[in-house]
Amino acid sequence: MADKSGESYWNIVKRQFRKNKLAMLSMRVLYVLLFIGLMADFLANEKPLVCKMNGNTYFPIFRQYMVDWGLGAWQKEFRNNDWMSMEYDFAIFPPVPYSPTTIDIENGDYASPTGEQDVKSWRWRHQLGTDQIGRDVLSGLIHGTRIAMLVGVVSMSIATIIGILLGSIAGYFGDNRLQITRVQLFLNIVFIFFAWFYAFSVRSYAMEQALADSFGSFTLQFLWSILLFFLIMIIPNVLAKPLKNIKYLGGKITVPIDIIISRAIEVVISIPTLLLILSITAIVKKPSIMLIMVIIGLTGWTGIASYIRAELLRIRSLEYIEAAQALGFSEWRIILKHAIPNALTPVLIAIAFGVAGAILVESSLSFLGIGVQAEVITWGKLLSTARENSAAWWLAVFPGLAIFITVTIFNLLGEGLTDAMDPRLKQ
Amino acid sequence: MAPGDPVELKLQGGLGGGNSGQSSEKIATEKAYLDLSQKLGRNLPAFYFSVTSSSYPDTLYKIFKKDQRENLEKLIEQYGNWNEISNYFYSAKKLELALYDRKPDNIDTTIFERSRAIREGCNSLYRSYDDRDITFTLSNIKKAAVSEISVLDSATGQVSKYNSLADVIPLVNEVESNYSLMKSKANKTAKFIPAFYWYGKNNQYHRWLFGDVPWFGENTDPTKVSKGFFRGDFGNSYLDGRPVVSILGDALKWTLLLNLIAFFIAYAVSIPMGVSLAVKKDSTYDRVVTAINFVLYSLPTFWIATLLITFFTSDYYADWMDIFPTHGVGKVGDNFTFWEQFTDRSYHFILPIFCMVYGSFAYISRQMRGGMLTVLRQDYIRTAFAKGLDPNKVYWKHAFRNSLIPIITMFASFLPAMISGSVIIEYIFTIPGMGRISFESVVARNFPVLFTLLMFSAILTMIGNLLSDILYGVIDPRISFTKKK
Repeated sequence: MADKSGESYWNIVKRQFRKNKLAMLSMRVLYVLLFIGLMADFLANEKPLVCKMNGNTYFPIFRQYMVDWGLGAWQKEFRNNDWMSMEYDFAIFPPVPYSPTTIDIENGDYASPTGEQDVKSWRWRHQLGTDQIGRDVLSGLIHGTRIAMLVGVVSMSIATIIGILLGSIAGYFGDNRLQITRVQLFLNIVFIFFAWFYAFSVRSYAMEQALADSFGSFTLQFLWSILLFFLIMIIPNVLAKPLKNIKYLGGKITVPIDIIISRAIEVVISIPTLLLILSITAIVKKPSIMLIMVIIGLTGWTGIASYIRAELLRIRSLEYIEAAQALGFSEWRIILKHAIPNALTPVLIAIAFGVAGAILVESSLSFLGIGVQAEVITWGKLLSTARENSAAWWLAVFPGLAIFITVTIFNLLGEGLTDAMDPRLKQ
Repeated sequence: MAPGDPVELKLQGGLGGGNSGQSSEKIATEKAYLDLSQKLGRNLPAFYFSVTSSSYPDTLYKIFKKDQRENLEKLIEQYGNWNEISNYFYSAKKLELALYDRKPDNIDTTIFERSRAIREGCNSLYRSYDDRDITFTLSNIKKAAVSEISVLDSATGQVSKYNSLADVIPLVNEVESNYSLMKSKANKTAKFIPAFYWYGKNNQYHRWLFGDVPWFGENTDPTKVSKGFFRGDFGNSYLDGRPVVSILGDALKWTLLLNLIAFFIAYAVSIPMGVSLAVKKDSTYDRVVTAINFVLYSLPTFWIATLLITFFTSDYYADWMDIFPTHGVGKVGDNFTFWEQFTDRSYHFILPIFCMVYGSFAYISRQMRGGMLTVLRQDYIRTAFAKGLDPNKVYWKHAFRNSLIPIITMFASFLPAMISGSVIIEYIFTIPGMGRISFESVVARNFPVLFTLLMFSAILTMIGNLLSDILYGVIDPRISFTKKK
């Protein structure tokens, strides 16, 4: 895809993108948001970063990570304690000295950011106020950033994997280029059932337990299930190799894979995501934010798939692909190594808009109070507390502003990418 | 299949009694449960067939209490030997039943307390699957069963041991031995062997679609009540027993009214706006309006709605800001004139409709602008200008119609989006429409309502797609869906 000057397409897109000031600004805001999301524990926490007690120095926030990952336990001094009222010889607190779930009883009942607050000093003020039971809004916003970024990353990773896989198969093979032998088709269909059974059905109990247990262990179990699924799916294709030589079984069948995948895209598009997630939370025992991310990912791949499909329809007839075919490379090698890398740029557009959509869906769900556990604070949940008291304007303004800014920067990034890839702009 | 036991929900906690120790009461509550679950069809298998592991029996659905069934599933998951598990389960049931209808014992006054303790122990056995929990409960039961009191025989002066519950000790032992048998004979491999069970037409899904009342002729069986989805019987709400049709009928009225108004306002404003933006492309007007539209598009509806409610429905910030009502659709009775009703409704509708409309301004006018720009680049438009046609005529007569295609594509999604798009607006403004009903039915796990809503939304999707296909043909006669020869 190099033009006359030898500059790659990707470089042209980057150059065009840099000219777009709004998009570049959004990019910087995104870095800030990612930083806040990653460092949330160190930016807003009721535990001190460093503290000194009875001659010993402690790092409670780091210790928290160790405890969470099962690498250590709390020191005796810190068990069952109230971090705020402890006597430290010396302590450095994070910029916001409250966790999102810390209940500050003295400043309960909607302490206004502009009004009087019962705090030791300016350092301990609730800069953006508190909610009804005295939880700090700014701290909730900072930790909500992490959830929002996580929603974007997790759901769009799932969507990208599915979208690229299905879209490239549909685009590369089209309706008449995917030919497989009878025995392969038959064995694959049979083994999909077995793979599903062993990877998901049998393990459903373990996965349910893991979902109730923690985010990390569920991810692990889920990935293991997917790996198992693909491992089992290797069997029919290995089995088919010797059986191909039998005359009838080796007969070729053309699979109209493009039609099948395109219809699947249309079906998935026509399902309203919000309604789907609402109904799934009704039949799942313990809806969690993880589950919502997964569902958003499982329904959000259509845009990516259409982009990739369109690109591969174009790319597959280019000479270099024909050359690769003539060299006798396997189809999968051509798709994965030669076709997809050249089709990835437009997918970024779909991903940028997809993240905006995912964050919007998740925050509307948590606004409705669906699928969020009590101890998780999200922007949508904070915003919904504004409905209980219209005097608390800070609860209505700030969380919504955070959602708005995030959604806008992703939309702007998507716009910027679209413009940068517009061939009419290429100079 | 789904959490929340609908039968319990309908009985409204009328179960769980039976602590008086009368077997008649116990049997009555069990029977009430069974009758109701039969009426709701919950005693049937869920679907035509099931694919599970072979450790599951094909008759598990016959355990009609949901919590007990789920607990058995967990035991199967752990031990995989259904025969031993069911022996254990039924021996616990037998023990529980043996403890009802105890006669008062003159010598041992603790009999009531102890038999109640054992019954409660049995009930907690039905709900526990953890080895430690079960062992603990079993030891408690045993303790209650074997405790003896010393009785002084006044005639002989001898002290003898007496246990009023001596007859249940073998039953307790049976439960214990069945439990240890279940643990020792665990079959870990059974769950890795798939099993396929065919149930035939007598299942919940078939009953929901087609009903169990005969299609022709008189219904003679009073236990058969459902006519099925295809005959317009969508079931009754689990919560108040109202037919789903009447609940949704009331709700549809509001959603349709709000959406139609919003629809007309949105299209009436944004189509001319989109055309004028395309005509004045790259002017300041175009840039400013496009930027504003972009911001409007990114503003989440639920935020704007919350802001409006916070600032414009109370006099907390300033007296003049208490402009709009907080929620609802207004109270209108028979004794109001049409004009009074109309003003009251409009007063309540302004905020929700504003929230529904502003986002679509941005979206529709953007699509319209894009569509119009594509058409304006065409040769025949240049020709029309070249021959000196009035620009307005070129725009509205020649270009406009051809640029409607993207708008029609959007039109297809209008009908299905009606329900899902209304969820948040109706939740915030407490409007009793379809969106709010779907939210409430999810929260209460009111499945007859939820299923009907989903079916309804699927049908709307199909109607929307059909409508837009027809409109394509109307707008552009070159588009045809018949096969060309």
